[in-house]
Amino acid sequence: MTANAKITADLFITCVVDQLYPDVGVSVVRVLRRLGVTVGFPTDQTCCGQPVYNTGYSQQARTLAKRVLEQFKDSEYVVVPSGSCAATIRVFYLEIFDDDTELLAEAKALAAKTYEFSEFLVNVLKVDDAADCGAGHEGTVTYHPSCHLLRELGVKSEPQKLLQSVPGLEQKELEGAEICCGFGGTFSVKFPHISEGMVTDKVANIQASGADTLVSCDMSCLMNIGGALNRQESAIKVRHLAQILDPESE
Amino acid sequence: MPEIKTQDFTAASTAAILDPKLRRALDRVAEGFHVARLDRIEEVTQDVWDGWKDQAREIKVHTIENLDYYLELLDKNVTAAGGQLHFAKDADEANEIVAHIVRTRNIKIVTKSKSMVSEELGLNPVLEALGVEVWETDLGEYIIQLAEETPSHLVAPALHKSKEDVAALFTEKLGIPYDEDIYHMAATARTILRDKFMEADLGISGANFVVAETGTLVIITNEGNGRLCTSAPRVHIGITGMEKVIPSMQDLSAFLRLLPRSATGQRITSYVSMTTGPRRSDDEDGPEEFHLILVDNGRSKMLADPALREALYCIRCGACLNICPVYSRIGGHAYGWVYPGPIGAVVSPMLVGLPKAKELPQASSLCGACREVCPVNIDIPKMLLDLRKKTAESPDSSLRSAPEIERVLARLYAKLMSSPKLLKMGVKFGRFAQKLERMTPVFSPLTTDGKWIRNAHIPILSRWTKSRDLPTLPKQTFHELWEKELSPDDS
Amino acid sequence: MPGTPKAEFLQSVREALGRENVPPIEAYPRLAETPSELEQQVAQMRQHIEDNLPALLDKLAKMAALGGWRVHRASRPEDVIEYIETLARDSGTANVVRSNQDVFNQIPLDATLTNLGLTVTTVLRDETTTRESLREEIRQSGIGITGADYALAETGSVIVLPRKGLARLISVVPPVHIALVRAEDLLETLDDLFLLRRLEYHQQGGEMGSYLNFITGPSRTADIEMTIVEGVHGPKEVHMIILG
Repeated sequence: MTANAKITADLFITCVVDQLYPDVGVSVVRVLRRLGVTVGFPTDQTCCGQPVYNTGYSQQARTLAKRVLEQFKDSEYVVVPSGSCAATIRVFYLEIFDDDTELLAEAKALAAKTYEFSEFLVNVLKVDDAADCGAGHEGTVTYHPSCHLLRELGVKSEPQKLLQSVPGLEQKELEGAEICCGFGGTFSVKFPHISEGMVTDKVANIQASGADTLVSCDMSCLMNIGGALNRQESAIKVRHLAQILDPESE
Repeated sequence: MPEIKTQDFTAASTAAILDPKLRRALDRVAEGFHVARLDRIEEVTQDVWDGWKDQAREIKVHTIENLDYYLELLDKNVTAAGGQLHFAKDADEANEIVAHIVRTRNIKIVTKSKSMVSEELGLNPVLEALGVEVWETDLGEYIIQLAEETPSHLVAPALHKSKEDVAALFTEKLGIPYDEDIYHMAATARTILRDKFMEADLGISGANFVVAETGTLVIITNEGNGRLCTSAPRVHIGITGMEKVIPSMQDLSAFLRLLPRSATGQRITSYVSMTTGPRRSDDEDGPEEFHLILVDNGRSKMLADPALREALYCIRCGACLNICPVYSRIGGHAYGWVYPGPIGAVVSPMLVGLPKAKELPQASSLCGACREVCPVNIDIPKMLLDLRKKTAESPDSSLRSAPEIERVLARLYAKLMSSPKLLKMGVKFGRFAQKLERMTPVFSPLTTDGKWIRNAHIPILSRWTKSRDLPTLPKQTFHELWEKELSPDDS
Repeated sequence: MPGTPKAEFLQSVREALGRENVPPIEAYPRLAETPSELEQQVAQMRQHIEDNLPALLDKLAKMAALGGWRVHRASRPEDVIEYIETLARDSGTANVVRSNQDVFNQIPLDATLTNLGLTVTTVLRDETTTRESLREEIRQSGIGITGADYALAETGSVIVLPRKGLARLISVVPPVHIALVRAEDLLETLDDLFLLRRLEYHQQGGEMGSYLNFITGPSRTADIEMTIVEGVHGPKEVHMIILG
């Protein structure tokens, strides 16, 4: 762990974690600190702009994206506990600023140092055993690869690798794992009937997996799936990967 | 052009999603095609597959960027082979060209092999109005022609019909006893259409590709109807979009490898028919006349728009439909026009006009599965996003897809999120509102433990909570926790 | 003729591309190749096939079977005739139609089939046979027999090109199609085929012939409930006999 002692990572915590799932953020901090990382948190941060960008409001997205560029200008690494928000910074910012050389250069610089949580652990901190973070989890877990993490960032094996090495954790296979849960940001309220259809299938597959906990790297997907599970009075818990890796998380 | 119902997307998709029979049919197709497709990729290895995709895309990029040149070359070579190339700027013109040929060549019976472009043009009613017998010969197209419907999938046009539906349709329209044996039904179609192939004066086909260097029309089929349509009648007309041109015959290899595997999971289809001009003097059969009609019909709008140009690379394999979690729940008809699914949500708005189809680009979770399966690497989500941009803030109100309140909210959101102080106040207000709500238990939207919103009275939230709970705001934000407990200054 | 004049249509395409005039096309290596370059490539391709012939014939047989052909390997013309005799007898048909390709000089079938009591029609147009009468003969036939211009190992396909004595309907109208493939017809890949055809196109002064048709397995559909039905418009049963 001392190997990482010189690494400083600033958290972009995301608005969903900040306002709805602060415990996830706490676990992210604990896990990173256990791995020896010096964790920073620029407190002026709010939202990456994805909700407005995905709905077509590029001007508003640009306003918010500029703030992120500014706040993390001097960071060594930026760690984001969300595949979707990390994808916004790494992929969509380059589209947002493609008409402005200066800002595009800044966006590229930010993209180059921004990592989603699981890939930061595996690819930067070189964690190959979750026990390094003191993780332990008694129970069965199934993993939902969120779409932006999988297809925008191409992060496929990293979360699985971490989960596999958690002592006591038994992984269950999820049928149709790579099919979208139906969240899709404003899509979920613009076309609730389609979104519901999608999450219904996802929930059925999760229930059929036999796992007692669903893990993902995106709280927005888990808010959708978890909300549907709760409506069905399901006992299946939803957890961010960081909560599984954090031994102090309940 | 056929009737445009893209405006009814919400109503149509709401009805479709409740249809269990449709869902079974969609599952069958998605599963069947998708699994076979994955098997084929595994067989050749992902690296080889990716190589083919890159090759195909490169050919498409090059051709589309130089489309004027290749159209000219194609024209020269179709003519050199004894055929005639016609250009149609819109559906009316294309239909008029066909009508002119029909009238001047004394055509009475037409057999058609599957052509999505002819669906796009609404050609059949035009021909019927001329008093011509028109026979769709692809089994799926034949079924929907009898049913007077439109295709619901690019590759499997009648997938929405169960065998019982088809049996009932055959009984009603053909006057034969009800028989839901699929083999018998296919045999019935064979018998009826066999006569028509032999009697037909005109064969009409689409084109999967047209080769500029040789003036060749390429069609890919499994049933053999395409082969019969191009061989038996005395006149042939191929109708396709102007983007289907490729430079040379050698460019076909990549596409013949990608298209069947992506469409149906086949290594190759039963038939690939490449026709170059009419029959020559020594040939034993084949058409005396060969016409090729290239249609613009809105495609130059896509060409003119750098953000949407790549939609013209599409080879209509349907893989994006089969993988799409939205299409696989609502089917093709809900999209309201000829081209359904993710690629349809890009193409239809461009062909029927964005004001009429502005809802389609919104109806995607942007999960990216369509881009992953596309054999020519078309970035469909990026184009959907671009269309969203065009509809969100357009000064032209007919283009704007959402009610005014959405624009107000988007601005408010950006304001709120631009100011940490405002956001903090907002969150505090939210918590206060939650507390207030808890004090009025009769109307309370919250669950008994107060952790979830179950029955939101607020317009947008209520759309969420119809079938899902929404977490309530916790006591503290991460910002507050950081300042109190986590910041290194405190620890 | 209705429609948009070519110049006008191309102008609108050019405008959409954001250009005024036709620019010199960007280098596209394929179209710049000279016939002598193509010849060299063809010679290499031929050599490769010759060097790997047994393995490629095996691959053809394997891929053809995967494509739905009933594959029969024969080492002598007599084996081919014997096999076709069995097929013809079992089919119960009274009429057989065959093309008039070279391969039938090497494999004389007619006497054997006639001895079975079958009527054998050969596609041979003269004063009495018109295209129309020929078409009717083909329609009445239970079996269509053709040679192959090429057979593709990559896909298991038979390729037929137009020529006197070969009607395209022979391979698609009768319910059974038998294709005779000789070792010299073999090509390995789609690339081989299109390379060769392109060279021939240029050698023949820009003549492609009116068609180039692939056949791979039986006619089939899955348009009703994804159930595969063979023999929907074309033949239900297809045999590939590989001699060599």
